[in-house]
Amino acid sequence: MSDATTSELVHDEQWQRLDPRMLLVHPIRELLRFLPVLLGLFVAGTATGGNEPWQYLGVAIPVGLGLLRYLTTSFRIHAGRIELRRGLLNKHVLSTPLDRVRTIDLTASLIHRVLGLTTVRIGTGTASRSDDDQLDLDGLPLVRARELRRELLQRAQPDLVHAADGEGEAGLPATPPERVVVRLQPGWLVYAPFTTSGLVIAAGILGAGSQLLNLLDLWTKVGTATPDVGASPTWWLLGPVLVVLVVAAVSALAVVGYLATNWDFTLSHTRGDGSWHLRRGLLTTRETSIDDGRVRGVSMGSPLGLRLAGGRQLSAIVTGLDRSQQGSSVLVPPAPAAVVRRVADDVLGTRAPLTVPLVPHGPRARARRFSRALLPAAALSALLVVAVAAFDAPGWFVVAAVAAPLVALCLAQDRWRALGHALVDGWFVVRSGSLSQRHAVLATDGIIGWNFRDTWFQRRVGLTTLVATTAGGRQAYTALDVPEDVAVGLAGAAVPGLVEQFLA
Amino acid sequence: METPASARLREPSQRVSPRARLMWTITAVVQAAVLLAGLMVATLLWGWFDLRWWMPVLLGAVLATYVVVMPAWRYAVHRWEVTGTAVYTQTGWWSIERRIAPMSRIQTVDYVEGVVARFFGLASVTVTTASAAGALEIAGLDRDRARALVDELTVQADSVVGDAT
Repeated sequence: MSDATTSELVHDEQWQRLDPRMLLVHPIRELLRFLPVLLGLFVAGTATGGNEPWQYLGVAIPVGLGLLRYLTTSFRIHAGRIELRRGLLNKHVLSTPLDRVRTIDLTASLIHRVLGLTTVRIGTGTASRSDDDQLDLDGLPLVRARELRRELLQRAQPDLVHAADGEGEAGLPATPPERVVVRLQPGWLVYAPFTTSGLVIAAGILGAGSQLLNLLDLWTKVGTATPDVGASPTWWLLGPVLVVLVVAAVSALAVVGYLATNWDFTLSHTRGDGSWHLRRGLLTTRETSIDDGRVRGVSMGSPLGLRLAGGRQLSAIVTGLDRSQQGSSVLVPPAPAAVVRRVADDVLGTRAPLTVPLVPHGPRARARRFSRALLPAAALSALLVVAVAAFDAPGWFVVAAVAAPLVALCLAQDRWRALGHALVDGWFVVRSGSLSQRHAVLATDGIIGWNFRDTWFQRRVGLTTLVATTAGGRQAYTALDVPEDVAVGLAGAAVPGLVEQFLA
Repeated sequence: METPASARLREPSQRVSPRARLMWTITAVVQAAVLLAGLMVATLLWGWFDLRWWMPVLLGAVLATYVVVMPAWRYAVHRWEVTGTAVYTQTGWWSIERRIAPMSRIQTVDYVEGVVARFFGLASVTVTTASAAGALEIAGLDRDRARALVDELTVQADSVVGDAT
């Protein structure tokens, strides 16, 4: 056991195992993973009249695997590198210089928290997607993990630390003050049903509900009842009530999901080592620390529902976190727009990128927004009308056929209004979309290269889609349907010296 | 340097190997044959739909156009260029994508000889950057030219300092 005065980073060359309490966690996790197979085994066992030993062997295998996983995983911090060794058949040694550490993520599931442990995930800015390449220390005591995180972050910005504390006591600087930027407010729960996750839950419920109806053979009854829709008064009463009930259930589930993910959400900043700290979660708590220099911008998302309710959400564009860890770069969950803007200004350090008026992309881009929305809608309407005329489809298809182009029109207008870009003070700003609108602000020194993508239709009208590639966030940020000379000028102004040599 | 208002990107200066056209043609012929065969099986053996005389003729005409037009178009479009500070590629045929990456941000240079490409003495070179969306691929290069390009890129990328994120 290390006591508080010994630095985590000063250890000898011995390989150390992770915390012994993981011996409880691994077998349980493996059992859960093998649960379907085990259930199948037990069912098959009772059906064939029981070969007792085989079933218990089935339980012993996951437990044994869990034990093996614990016994074959070890790590050490030595000579300025952190190394992780694991695997029984394929030995994997992952090694990273301590100075390359960009982000540190502390995740603790329910089992971990009960035992006082946490998983440390270290991000180094690699673009690797493979799970095998993740440097995870699965099962360190919470105190040790926090100490390790603090010291790793200090290494990233040693000059700032020495300037901040005047103590001069080697190895034990004073903890720099942590400034809380935003904390979860109860009023934010209102925004929970409006996000895309609410829609996913609704889709899940619809799917489960229709399965249930299928099971109970109610579809046929619904089918026979439909011709009487106009006539039967009970349907006119039942219908809206059912809809309200479903909406209420979906909203409640969305709120519960929001709470479970964002319980005690706190975003804070330490000036000393220059890092952002994010903490949230009810069952699985997650603490992420992101080195200041790795935050290359922010992305403000406003899906349609959320936007109509007056909310936004904010995530950081961070190098060192891949897409599977998007949850670690959330700066603000769905919250009032004013709060989100305040936090964004705080993170960026300037109000300009989010307040600057965006340059519209011209009349040809506008025409494309409308044609791309209206053509599929028109095709759908035509199909519906044909279905009604030739194949005796229900009459309300005609209503849908009329509604589709109108909806498409509104969608196209919203998309056109949202489309724009700007370049201000070393920030590249793009916004597009209606159903899932994104307003992205990217630092120009975080832009790696440019992609110009155009289809034959776009080339005909002199438009192109400009994509700025970067090492963080979604890896690429797109300005749709920009006139080509504007795109080239923008690329040249944002990253001087790259595109100019290829001009016509 | 000021970019003039009517700025356009020119095409990259180097073309891929002419044998790539042959490779793409043969790949397209194989794909077309598989598709036609699959449809024939679906209708004759499994009876998924009734075969009219115009169906295979129409499909055959479409596929024949694809086989003739696509390789020539693609050969005209696929280009690449390496300067002292950047790599520039242009790929595609109907939808064209031009990618520019600075030499200072290159992380790896990969040389790949696919199974089909090996028959034609071709290889592809992939330049990756720290961004997953920013990898540049030059496919259909002559094998020796590809090897020389890999050496050239490795030397040039090495000479620039930084961790390329």
